[in-house]
Amino acid sequence: MEMKATGIISGNGDDQRTLVVVFLRGGADGLTLVPPVGDQGYYDVRPTLSVAENEILKLGDANCGLNPALKSLHSLFGDGGLSVIPAVGLQDETRSHFYAQDLMEHGGPVAGGWLGRFLRYRDGRAPSALSAIALGKSMPEVLRGAPAATVMESMDTFSLGKSGESTAQIQEELGALYSLDQSILGPAARDTLQALGRVEKLRSENRPPENGAIYRDDSFSNGLRQAARLIRARVGLEAVSLDLEGWDSHLAQETLITPLMSRLSDGLAAFHRDLGSLMKSVTVVVMTEFGRRVAENSSFGTDHGRGGAMLVMGGRERGEVEGKMPKLETGLLVGPGDVPVMTDYREVLKPILRQHGALSSMENIFPQTS
Amino acid sequence: MKTVAKEEVSRRNFLRAAAGLALFSTSGCERVEDFLGMEPKEGPVVPPTGEGIDLISHLLNRATFGPTPSEYARVKGLGESQEEALEAFLDEQLSPDEIKDKRAQRAVRRFEAIHAPLGEMYEYKEEHLLEQLTRATLVRATRSERQLFEVMVHFWSDHFNIDISKKECRWLKAADDREVIRNHALGKFSDLLRASALSPAMLWYLDGRENRKRDASEKPNENYARELLELHTLGVNGGYTQKDVMEVARCLSGWSVRGKGKFFKGKVEFHAESHDDGSKVVLGREIAAGGGEEDLDEVLEILCEHPATARYLAEKLCVRFIADEPATESIEEVAEVFKKSGGEITKVLRAVFGTKEFLKGARGQKLKRPFEFLVSALRGAKAEVKSEMVLVDYLIRMGHAPFQYPTPDGYPDVASPWTGTLLWRWHFAIALARNEIGKDIKVDEGALLEEAGGMEGLAASLLGRTPNENELASIEKTGEALALLLASPRFQWR
Repeated sequence: MEMKATGIISGNGDDQRTLVVVFLRGGADGLTLVPPVGDQGYYDVRPTLSVAENEILKLGDANCGLNPALKSLHSLFGDGGLSVIPAVGLQDETRSHFYAQDLMEHGGPVAGGWLGRFLRYRDGRAPSALSAIALGKSMPEVLRGAPAATVMESMDTFSLGKSGESTAQIQEELGALYSLDQSILGPAARDTLQALGRVEKLRSENRPPENGAIYRDDSFSNGLRQAARLIRARVGLEAVSLDLEGWDSHLAQETLITPLMSRLSDGLAAFHRDLGSLMKSVTVVVMTEFGRRVAENSSFGTDHGRGGAMLVMGGRERGEVEGKMPKLETGLLVGPGDVPVMTDYREVLKPILRQHGALSSMENIFPQTS
Repeated sequence: MKTVAKEEVSRRNFLRAAAGLALFSTSGCERVEDFLGMEPKEGPVVPPTGEGIDLISHLLNRATFGPTPSEYARVKGLGESQEEALEAFLDEQLSPDEIKDKRAQRAVRRFEAIHAPLGEMYEYKEEHLLEQLTRATLVRATRSERQLFEVMVHFWSDHFNIDISKKECRWLKAADDREVIRNHALGKFSDLLRASALSPAMLWYLDGRENRKRDASEKPNENYARELLELHTLGVNGGYTQKDVMEVARCLSGWSVRGKGKFFKGKVEFHAESHDDGSKVVLGREIAAGGGEEDLDEVLEILCEHPATARYLAEKLCVRFIADEPATESIEEVAEVFKKSGGEITKVLRAVFGTKEFLKGARGQKLKRPFEFLVSALRGAKAEVKSEMVLVDYLIRMGHAPFQYPTPDGYPDVASPWTGTLLWRWHFAIALARNEIGKDIKVDEGALLEEAGGMEGLAASLLGRTPNENELASIEKTGEALALLLASPRFQWR
């Protein structure tokens, strides 16, 4: 009985789409990232922590704009490469970091992460060993349950062992043995060896970024830079997760998050430039567990709220403001005075996941639960 | 005669170990064990000599997590013929309580969280419970002498899958593992099913705890009812309708579990006021009104006796032990025994291993899933494992960490979803053989070679057959027999 060699395509996916999920941990203030335009209510409740109307980077004639610290992303909006979603978030009313992150990464009160489930249940391609990576120290919940996911600390993560002649020799002999294999492992081995070869090449060349892109020297930008190299090398990378932490601005919000916004914006802009036309098949989603209280507190910070902001870059974005920025009038706020969730974050993710090969029903990725 | 002598030895060793334990802390327990030379003396290593996989190797591939070097000779010696040896091995393995297993039991004793009473599990940090449960699972798979029992635990953990990351399953899955899966793994299917239906973790995982019908406006939560029919008993083509799902949900309404914030957390209880007490019809059988909590037993009885359940379980077991696409005759034969025995799991397993397809069909053509690959490598290389955490990292990379499968259908048991895992299999094989996995895992390739009488012996021991000329040539060129063998195509299959 011979096993059929079906259900497998080149894991090196020359036509591969890659989804990059950036999680802003701590609850990033949506009203700072994406401030309202033309809403006096905003200035009434935020006497110190608001962005002056003339400094807000306008998004066409939308009633919200971008924080000036995100200026490196602003031109992308005009070029159709960035979409902005204000007042977006969870249906659940939790204001706990842990619970909200968990819910958002799981895609509801269910087990496993939505990105992990996406990889397991998207159209029938077999995943490659390098299909999903988490850049950082640990595996985030969003990737839990993925068919293959690796925490990548450096390019050296992807190799068969300490570099040297003996490892190369084993690699060669494995290639020989598997090339004789009549089972479905034959083509799988060929793909794996090809991907390894491409990573090996990356490691040895250490080429500068393309298109004159310049990355900052911080862990976020470094992560994006590695991701861009792997995407360019076509090793079968379908999902990347990386975090930008430190958004929990109860105190002195402006000094805390302005530099974070620059890191975010510069990192993403460099990534976009580096990948150039490849960005057509790459989508970057920026999300956070919740937005923050509309009214500032007595220590120039803000407390946990609800509606936050999302950014989507690349892929098939058309450069739009999706959803609605509500008026910040007392009667329209929710709970202790928070931005209402006008858009469920899952509704933002669904069309993106479909572009990346999810089956149309989505039942496996975002199950309907009580 | 032999058994008596062995028992005496182990009893004496036990006393010595107990004395040792009094002097050392529990964390050093394993070292004490090694120091005192607790292991019952292992038999000689006599590797297989055939060019193809013989029945003994086939059996060890399928009924265990892979042979240790001496296991082939031991099992072969259980009978005059290989068929006789197979029977004797099944006799032994299907009475797990009679197999001495002190070594594995002692090794898991240090994972105190998973032994805690249900309510006390909440006192542990959730990540500790997951860590300890996962490590215990690896320890048992690798070191237990009750191999078939552990293989069945693995099977039922998929069949009644619970992802530990959902809500309070974080604390309760360890109890489910102990009291549902392990308690009934080789018992009666109906007992296993009932235990699972009333498992606190399952009530959380499939929302049974939210299944209420307090007044006419309330609709029962159908999540568990659906999976009970689709995945646990009848199978997706088992002939039930949406109406049956709704009726089963009504029958099970009212069962809930106390949450974390309450007294007696984790306690399962029946709330009569949340139960729909009208009459129901499930799969054509009427359940009279007023049954209350007994509705559950009626439903489970209907399901266990339904021919679709016998067939569905038979098929899954054939897929596990025989082939990705087992023959219809095998499934029917096994299903018949399931029905006749009333779901006696040991009898059903005997039927699986007694099918013509198992005895005479293709061998070495079930792809080891990552967990099975990893454990078989550790067993085949007699690895000394001090901590299992690095193994868990590999399992996560290969998408096969225990208790972390997100949807209720459990990890797939056929080859195609796992073909993307070769990179980490190779990586593991090479690192293990070179002792580069970390200080907690050690192998001694020199000793393995010596024991097996040389490189060809080691190859036969790991591959279940003598190496072919290509394999020999590759070993020759690399000079790293163990790494190459564990990474080779043959070793990926069972």
